[in-house]
Amino acid sequence: MSVEGKIKFSKALSNCLRAAGLLNKVSRRYFPVLAAMCAVNALTPYVAVFFSARVLSELATYRRPDTLWRWVIAGAACTGAFAVVKAMLYERQETLYDDLYGRKEILFARKMFSLDYADMDKQATHDLRDQIRQNEGWAGLGLMLVPTVMGELLENIIGILSGAALTVSLFTTPVPASAGALTVLNSPLFILAIAAVMVAVSVLAGYCSARSELYYTSASEEANFGNRLFGFFGFFGLQKERGADVRIYSQERLVSAYWAKNFAFGGSGLLARLARGPMGILSGLGTGITVVITGCVYVFTCMKAWAGAFDVGSVTQYVGAATAMAGSIFALMSAFGELRANGVYLETTFKFLDIPNAMYQGSLTTEKRSDRNYEVEFRNVSFKYPGAENWALKNVSIKFKVGRRLAIVGENGSGKTTFIKLLCRLYDPQEGEILLNGIDIRKYDYRDYMDIFSVVFQDFQLISQPLGANVAGRADYDAERARRALVDAGFGDRLETMPEGLDTQLYKDFTENGVEISGGEAQKIAIARALYKDAPFIILDEPTAALDPIAEAEIYGKFNEIAGDRTAIYISHRLSSCRFCDEIAVFQDGSIVQRGSHEELLADGSGKYHELWTAQAQYYTGD
Amino acid sequence: MNEKTKPKYGIAQNVLWIVKIAWSTRKRVLVFCLLTATLEVLYNLAQLYIAPEILKRVEGHESLSSLLWTIAFFTASIFLVLVLKDYIKENTMYPRVDVRSVITGKLTEKSNATSYPNTLNADFIKLRERAYNACDGNREATELIWQTLTLLLQNTAGFVIYLTILSRLDLTLILAVAATCAVGFFVSRYTNNWTFTHREAEDVYYAKKRYIRGKAESVELAKDIRVFGLQNWLNDLLESVHDVYLDFRLKVERVRLLTDITEALMTAARNVIAYVYLINMALREGLSVAEFLLYFTAVTTFTTWVMGILREAVRLHQQSLDISRVREFLEYPEPFKFEGGEPVPGADGYELKLERVSFRYPGAEADTIHELDLTVKAGEKLAVVGLNGAGKTTLVRLLCGLFDPTEGRVLLNGRDIRDFNRREYYKLFSAVFQEFSILDVTVAENIAQTKEDIDYEKLRECVERAGLTKTVDGLPNGFDTHVGREVYLDGVLFSGGQTQRLMLARALYKDAPILMLDEPTAALDPIAENDIYMKYNDMTAGKTSVFISHRLASTRFCDRIIFLADGRIAEEGTHESLLKLGGEYAKLFEVQSRYYQEGREF
Repeated sequence: MSVEGKIKFSKALSNCLRAAGLLNKVSRRYFPVLAAMCAVNALTPYVAVFFSARVLSELATYRRPDTLWRWVIAGAACTGAFAVVKAMLYERQETLYDDLYGRKEILFARKMFSLDYADMDKQATHDLRDQIRQNEGWAGLGLMLVPTVMGELLENIIGILSGAALTVSLFTTPVPASAGALTVLNSPLFILAIAAVMVAVSVLAGYCSARSELYYTSASEEANFGNRLFGFFGFFGLQKERGADVRIYSQERLVSAYWAKNFAFGGSGLLARLARGPMGILSGLGTGITVVITGCVYVFTCMKAWAGAFDVGSVTQYVGAATAMAGSIFALMSAFGELRANGVYLETTFKFLDIPNAMYQGSLTTEKRSDRNYEVEFRNVSFKYPGAENWALKNVSIKFKVGRRLAIVGENGSGKTTFIKLLCRLYDPQEGEILLNGIDIRKYDYRDYMDIFSVVFQDFQLISQPLGANVAGRADYDAERARRALVDAGFGDRLETMPEGLDTQLYKDFTENGVEISGGEAQKIAIARALYKDAPFIILDEPTAALDPIAEAEIYGKFNEIAGDRTAIYISHRLSSCRFCDEIAVFQDGSIVQRGSHEELLADGSGKYHELWTAQAQYYTGD
Repeated sequence: MNEKTKPKYGIAQNVLWIVKIAWSTRKRVLVFCLLTATLEVLYNLAQLYIAPEILKRVEGHESLSSLLWTIAFFTASIFLVLVLKDYIKENTMYPRVDVRSVITGKLTEKSNATSYPNTLNADFIKLRERAYNACDGNREATELIWQTLTLLLQNTAGFVIYLTILSRLDLTLILAVAATCAVGFFVSRYTNNWTFTHREAEDVYYAKKRYIRGKAESVELAKDIRVFGLQNWLNDLLESVHDVYLDFRLKVERVRLLTDITEALMTAARNVIAYVYLINMALREGLSVAEFLLYFTAVTTFTTWVMGILREAVRLHQQSLDISRVREFLEYPEPFKFEGGEPVPGADGYELKLERVSFRYPGAEADTIHELDLTVKAGEKLAVVGLNGAGKTTLVRLLCGLFDPTEGRVLLNGRDIRDFNRREYYKLFSAVFQEFSILDVTVAENIAQTKEDIDYEKLRECVERAGLTKTVDGLPNGFDTHVGREVYLDGVLFSGGQTQRLMLARALYKDAPILMLDEPTAALDPIAENDIYMKYNDMTAGKTSVFISHRLASTRFCDRIIFLADGRIAEEGTHESLLKLGGEYAKLFEVQSRYYQEGREF
């Protein structure tokens, strides 16, 4: 494992700036407040140092009461005002940071929306996303470290400049000639040497702590693994649905065995070893060395004061300012280290945000036809999932007849759902083409093309939001149309009993007064959503899998009514559903092996359809 | 909420409890607390004296070597203290995490082993959540308490030392300074209380943000998002949940600002008081600049000790509450007998009997199972059918001993199962439930449910019988492939059908005398389903078995069928006799089979 950051400083800096640009778009208010806060933070210590030095100087020299009181009052007013402004800026910055912390996730959500479905469906995409989340989780690395680092940079640069302003007179006030040998302190060379030592020590200290920081981030792999282990096995007991299995199979043994591997952040992990060794020592040295600067400043200023250049009050000013300045140089170096370490993690963030859209996006609009006369055809279509060896679909050709009902049947993995995914252009085929009214569907604008399809997927999802919004897929919708869609989907009676009608919140995830609905009811709402869209094609993928026989029969009975004058496609592995479709296509190993009506297909005793049908029907048709 | 209920253990008891755990886990935790407190006090004293001691020598124009030696002495001391302090700081976290892990491990053990009804008990769940919250991270009670104890120690030591330094000064000065502390403390307590009472509100905002973000990024919703164009709706929802949170957060800001501004003003007041007193003293008594500086620093930093003690005492109180909940959870009473129960006697066959059993879920208005009598004879194959909500799953849980009946008894070969060691009783069962627990461990471990002594021959045989051989052979590391992606990045995800077969293989591997199958084929296609049915006889040979399904086709392999409705046995018999009866079962069968009948029109 290399301890060095893997990227150049300039790259890290440009990553940091790009991240800041993105965050600034998410919340325009944050960065100005951050900058103001850093400026005030940087100046505050010097204000205190300046005023207390004035009081001490007066005490060391003339001890005039009215001058003393003037400085005390001015000092109290100034430091008090600074403290109040600082508090206000700090709290506002904290508020906006909390806001930004949550809001920056919108960047990722929007990216997810716009990804090609192929990428959305790819495990690598989600692994990348998880990695980003984990890096943020264990050490705050990634986007949200950027404001912190930039704040530190700004604050310390201003700090160094202010410190310099307060120490200029330290160098320009000469030791009087009467001090003899000590007039060497006036020599510019001497001053240069002292300054060089101070800068060198600051840089060394900053270097030590930056190296130490790099050791910490170098353990990210083990740390992230530890966090995943901790999250899964440590909180295992909280998952209700596991309870029965855990007891019958004594799973606590396996859980304990794996829990014992959870040492990434413990005393025997890599991080702890690093902390006992180089990471801890470097960090200690980095912090300790800074006091050498204070020592140097004391030597130089005290000798000058001792030789009569200025009074002891000024000594406190110079020491205070120089120490604060050295602290700033040290912090600046650490911030550079952080910036560099974080640069690597930002690469991961950008790798995700920059996933390209490989799918061709056409611009043709579909013709709006009131007669719903859209003709869709698969012509010699073959498709392989990215990275897979086998064809999921092989040379499939089929033409949908407008206004008819088509059933698609076949075993698990025979290509039924893949077929639908291609039809909806979630994927593009590698070979062959899919045509809408004779034109390759890739040439249409995607959103426009999707307007002609309504799909109820096997794993359809509703959101814990108002019922009506779920049906319409938006917050402002046509209530009458939504109600009609629900009634047509067979949800009418249940709608009557919903406490707030269409405004009733579904599920309790979002608000406590939400209403829990059964799987069957959810399915009807999903169908209503498909009806609300009122597209010429309606596709139902295994809509009865979760239902008991009575609910299933209800959906079967309503199917014709639901489909209306639309072209309907019904996918199922319950063959009973084929009875009410005009045509059946049987899928096997990615190809359509049989087509025809139920009677025609059943007549072929050696066909796949006959085999599937008998497997199920034997239990119902026997004696 | 049980916020109000009195904690079972006091502060001293809880500190002692966790110190004992640290003592037996990592003694370093305690050593580091002492060292850190000592070094912090030393550092503070060095900082207090460095400027006055050096300035005294400049002011008094002492010899140059004495001046330089003083500077060297302080620089070296501070250097040493700083290096040590920081080195220890870098090392404190790890042993503390170990202690917290040990406690978290105890929580998980308790959750996994507790009587099953506890896991559905609202009181238990709430307590468990609080206990887990106390272990959830570095900032929670079971780890943060070490920092609190360190700070208490350090602040108390500092307080005592400073009192002796300041004893030369007027008591009223010290009291005046202490008064500014008190004002700051009470205002900050107000803020803390406010934040605490609004914590739940804040959690709700977090939950909402998390929910909408989760949905926006979910793979499952991705298809619907694209097909129905849900992007705009979700975008608006995302913006609005964050806007609402920001409004709340601005309210929090105002309350927090109150403390901050009070603190700023009190600090200014403290400085003025110290200046007035010390300048007067300097003018009157001719205090040197060095002395002035020493006292000024001492007076103004004296308050940090006082504030520190007050603040940490409040924190310790809160942490002690949290730790008490952890202990109360670990000691939560168990309704079942485990180690104290009788051993389950061995037998050739096992008969299960329900004797007028009723079961009602806590808080429910009606019984889920009502006065039910049922005997499952040794070696019998029983099928349980019924509509969703008829009580099938609850019946299985009663038979498995996951629930105890509200009324009546469950008997194993004539003995009430409540007398047995429940963990031993569970060993009698192989089960496939509708909800299952797959671990992110290897395929082999998921089937064998152990890490050691896996019988690979038996494993292969069970996988073959469950129809999973092809799948396992296709995995990158075969049996040693990890399942799931939450822990291991090279893990694989199984489809619904594959998962069901994996669960079946696990049940077969356990090879217990009683087999319970709750809808084990719902995710399978017809041919696969048929395949399992065909193997059913072979699987259940020599075992007592219960098969639950709402697909009536499956019940034909069973010796006897009971039709459950509203928690009662509505009908009972063989498939043929039930059809002849012409009751609910026959009607249900008709509904399911009508589409399979030849020559019918729709």
